[in-house]
Amino acid sequence: MPQLRDSGTHALTGSDAAKVPRSPQYETGARIFGIETEYGVSMTGGERHGDARQVASTMFMPVVAQARSTNTYLCNGARLYLDVGAHPEYATAETRDPLDALVQDLAGESVIRRLALQAQQRIRSTVGDDAIIHVFKNNVDSAGHAFGCHENYLVRRYVPLPVIERELLPFLITRQLFSGAGRITDHGFELSQRADYLDEAVSSATTRARPMVNTRDEPHADPEEFRRLHVIIGDSNRSQFATFMKLATTHLVLGAIESSVRAGRASGFQACALADPSIANRAISRDITGTALVQLAQDRGDEGMAWHPQGVASALDIQQHYLDIVRQAMAADSHAVAASLPRTDVVRVMDDWQELLDRLRANDVDALADKLDWAAKYRLFSALRGRGQRIDAWRAQQLDMDYHDIVNGSVYPALVRRGMMRVLASEQDVERAVGQPPADTRAAMRGRFIREAQRHGARFSCDWTRLTLTEPVHGEVVMLDPFDAGPSEAFDDMLAQLEDAAGQTQ
Amino acid sequence: MPQEYAAQGQARQERRADEEHQPVERAQAQPQADALDQVLDDIAATLETNAQDYVSSFVQQGGQ
Repeated sequence: MPQLRDSGTHALTGSDAAKVPRSPQYETGARIFGIETEYGVSMTGGERHGDARQVASTMFMPVVAQARSTNTYLCNGARLYLDVGAHPEYATAETRDPLDALVQDLAGESVIRRLALQAQQRIRSTVGDDAIIHVFKNNVDSAGHAFGCHENYLVRRYVPLPVIERELLPFLITRQLFSGAGRITDHGFELSQRADYLDEAVSSATTRARPMVNTRDEPHADPEEFRRLHVIIGDSNRSQFATFMKLATTHLVLGAIESSVRAGRASGFQACALADPSIANRAISRDITGTALVQLAQDRGDEGMAWHPQGVASALDIQQHYLDIVRQAMAADSHAVAASLPRTDVVRVMDDWQELLDRLRANDVDALADKLDWAAKYRLFSALRGRGQRIDAWRAQQLDMDYHDIVNGSVYPALVRRGMMRVLASEQDVERAVGQPPADTRAAMRGRFIREAQRHGARFSCDWTRLTLTEPVHGEVVMLDPFDAGPSEAFDDMLAQLEDAAGQTQ
Repeated sequence: MPQEYAAQGQARQERRADEEHQPVERAQAQPQADALDQVLDDIAATLETNAQDYVSSFVQQGGQ
């Protein structure tokens, strides 16, 4: 039975730490990516209304039956659990490439969808056949409760935390131009689902590490080498392109920050420091043209002040500045930047990034509507109005929510079916990722361990860095380097012991 | 694995987005308008349901 251990830090300390060899990836530009998605749930139809808690707990019945807990790891290396507030949550396994992270996140949708359809069957037997379960991959419910999609990036420890915050925040706030999931609010159509709910998070991110970087500093890796950047100011995306691009571009920006720190020079990103990130975040969310001007910080360094010396810039200006610097970093060390992602073509990413900004500058929302969630919604609403369809506030909100319903939604599947939304991953890719962990991170060992332990009916537990076997034999393997897919000697030994012990009892 | 963004050996440095997908997208402009019409037809049933009921039924208990 997998017993969940708290995923806190199990960092080796003192003399043990010195014995840990550096990850070979420490000196490169390689990165580990992960996506944590919280889902919202509801039910319509049926004789009785079910609340979120009932729907979520019904969904997790098969999980509890197998894991004796609502908190478990899967044989694809992911973590699946029921979070506070009746949110099913799926944290992808560690991946080395945004394409893999995308596929793993889609595998999470598939896992959650299956649980929801089973729960729907079960619930229908008591409340009637017209009961429909909805699982929303969005960020706000109808009562204004906000929940998140968190991205994790492994970042080299030599980059000081204040540097990450100062240099990354303007990028994160302005990337909603392409990563925003869109939402109709009292203020009209907004780029971001979350901008109105993130005042505190954004404003405190500038003064302390808490909301933007995990408080407890759990790198799930050697803390001497890496920290885990935990980005909470992003929307959940249905657009595969948006999910992919937000990870790929954030990686390129982080890479440029890392190389500037390594070289002991300023990155140039400090030029974009914002006077009030919270105000900027809201203003940018409410301006789909990307041209609204926001105040830059008073002190942006001598070099920084030369960029937009008048002290204001638009989201498009800021994004262009980030892209220009990323291109310079690529030009300075093109082999290393290209090699930092094992599968993704970084040149293509930069070209597409530029293309997005150009289309936005040209106010060409239609050209972005098959790539970006907010633009897809915007085009849909425009088309409905064009047909003379009356869209009141309830209908608009319903369609917005339906777009994010991964189980019984109609809008997003129709867009995909009609070729109106780009798809990067095939259904086969996604189904494979439901059963298989990424092959090039430690998730490969975690996934194999769980599959073998389940096959032998063993008692076991795991977390991100550790695999523990308690019956029929005791064993433990620590996997501190997320890049190391193993199998390590200790891992092979533990599986051999399990094999032997299981053979004897049969 | 998704192929579209996959790096393809030496060739990847020479690939240019404007050569690759812009002309295609422009050529599709008219069929896209038709496709959008079909999407609106596809979601007709959704537009018939009680929107207020649908929206109001989605209340979580606080997350994060």
